[in-house]
Amino acid sequence: MENFAFAPAYELPVWPFTPPPELGSAQVVRHPVVIVGAGPSGLTLACDLAQRGVRAVLLDEDDTVGVRGASSRGICYAQKSLEIFERLGICERIAAKGVTWSFGRTFSGNEEVYNFNLQATSVSTQPPFINLQQFYIEWFLVERILELGVTDLRWKSRVTRVEPLADGVRIDVETPAGSYTIEADHLIDATGANSPIRTQLGVASHASRSTDRWCISDVRFEKPLPTERWTWVDAPFNEGRGVWQHLMADGVWRIDYQMPEDCDPAEISRPEVAGARLREQLGPDVAFEFVWIGPYGYRDHLLERFRHGRVCFIGDAAHVVSPFGARGGNTGIQDAANLGWKLALVTQGKAGDALLDSYDAERRPAAQENLTVTSRSARFLAPRSPAEHTLRRAVVALAKRHTFARALVNTGRMSVANDYPAAPLLPEGARTVQNLPLRWADGRQTTLMQLLAEGTQCLGLWFAPTRAQAQAACDATAALPLRLLAVGGDSGLPTLQADETLARHLGLDPGATGGFVLVRPDAYRAAVLAQATPDTITAAVRTALALPSSP
Amino acid sequence: MITEPRIPDPDGFYAALLAAHEGRTEAQSADLNARLVLLLANQCADQAVLLACIDAAAEADDDIPTTTTTPP
Repeated sequence: MENFAFAPAYELPVWPFTPPPELGSAQVVRHPVVIVGAGPSGLTLACDLAQRGVRAVLLDEDDTVGVRGASSRGICYAQKSLEIFERLGICERIAAKGVTWSFGRTFSGNEEVYNFNLQATSVSTQPPFINLQQFYIEWFLVERILELGVTDLRWKSRVTRVEPLADGVRIDVETPAGSYTIEADHLIDATGANSPIRTQLGVASHASRSTDRWCISDVRFEKPLPTERWTWVDAPFNEGRGVWQHLMADGVWRIDYQMPEDCDPAEISRPEVAGARLREQLGPDVAFEFVWIGPYGYRDHLLERFRHGRVCFIGDAAHVVSPFGARGGNTGIQDAANLGWKLALVTQGKAGDALLDSYDAERRPAAQENLTVTSRSARFLAPRSPAEHTLRRAVVALAKRHTFARALVNTGRMSVANDYPAAPLLPEGARTVQNLPLRWADGRQTTLMQLLAEGTQCLGLWFAPTRAQAQAACDATAALPLRLLAVGGDSGLPTLQADETLARHLGLDPGATGGFVLVRPDAYRAAVLAQATPDTITAAVRTALALPSSP
Repeated sequence: MITEPRIPDPDGFYAALLAAHEGRTEAQSADLNARLVLLLANQCADQAVLLACIDAAAEADDDIPTTTTTPP
């Protein structure tokens, strides 16, 4: 029998536990924001708040990144997440370390039956996707948070109890040096799928578990393959079951094999068994070494509400979906970016508390949509009855001959920035604005994310307003967190060059003047005004920020 | 969903459908029907009509009385 080698384990950073001032003090200190859990969503939120100058306490029971004993969890970071990371200042590191891709292919047997190119719909400075082991994302976020120097990062700090108060939350924390109690105006639960806070508060998660079984092999080998997302509905080298093949950083491929439902997880993840699968796939002459082998099943859950008074749930603590399409980690990161600016404005007294309700009104439908989309993929990949097998066979057979059937082949619909439904703060709903490259009137380059990285304010992009309108709007909105910019024209406002791509992407007629688009700090389009006036602009901003209509 | 007759030669269509199934096992026939449904769905190309057809097909099945006694 062939012997299979393992690569040395990743060397992960460790950060020191520093006893906080509250230890050994009888006084209960109140903090504006306490985040529990330093995974992708908790770290993104802490970093987002730090960038806005809001000091949060971040508690994590560990002192490193990643999950001990597991080399990696999420691997695919979607454009919207990358744009958020660009705004937070770590996207360059991610791009340098990770693998950029936009093309995916799906095979049945040895034939390609579907492909997609996500670059085709992109106008962003960021690529559609970068693959990178999750712990690198967390690592870069921690280093960025330390660099910003605003966040109170507390390692080896386990939350043992939370108690909701009328105007905040009381939190008991256990550390290697003893226990202490703090209070928070707002507590953010980012403790992940098995959230002990959710359990302690008795918040139902409505979980369901799939019987589908998979086994990941993270593996390094020398065989030139394209850096594309390849999936097999029924791979000849995996007994006709599904296979995923994706490259990550450090030359490590993630190969994910669908297993029989009644398999023994210990048996299928033995190096000899996993190695035999890889040998079958790669052929006899390719040398490879394992980085990690991990069998898994998946489950889903979705809270009824993401905000419970002064407690907000983000990331996996709020929702878990099956892994197809990378809608788990990316959704958590986008939860954090949705909540960050709202917490900042509310804690600074610049927006009403109802703005925090909009976190639930926007991110819960997003999670619901992701649950629907990923459940459909899971069902295509693991048919539950003879009839479902028959229908899938028909789809795959037709897809080989006819283009229409390719749209039915579903090995995961990749994570998108979900649209938000119409709601009190978003009368027309909202959709993301990609990170377009822009130019100032004098030719200097900028991007939407660079504009949004400066302070916490909405951007008002106004297409060629008149001088009188611009001056009146500046006066009318002076007290609001709004940065007015002109696009073209001669208004006296800071002015970007007229740009057809920008106008079209924002939903405006490129030829028309006077149009106005309100872009929120999370790069969502909150309002479009065909012919803006100082009054309608003021009203749009006040609506978007949950401020009373008459100041 | 249109339920008034529109097939120009109903008997000819039915005969062709039967001919396509001739000599196939039950499983092969099920595969053929599934492919046919998908091809026809793409001809229809109207989501509301497709969903109405799925409902109508499911309802027709519900109308079939379940036989509880052995036929004579």
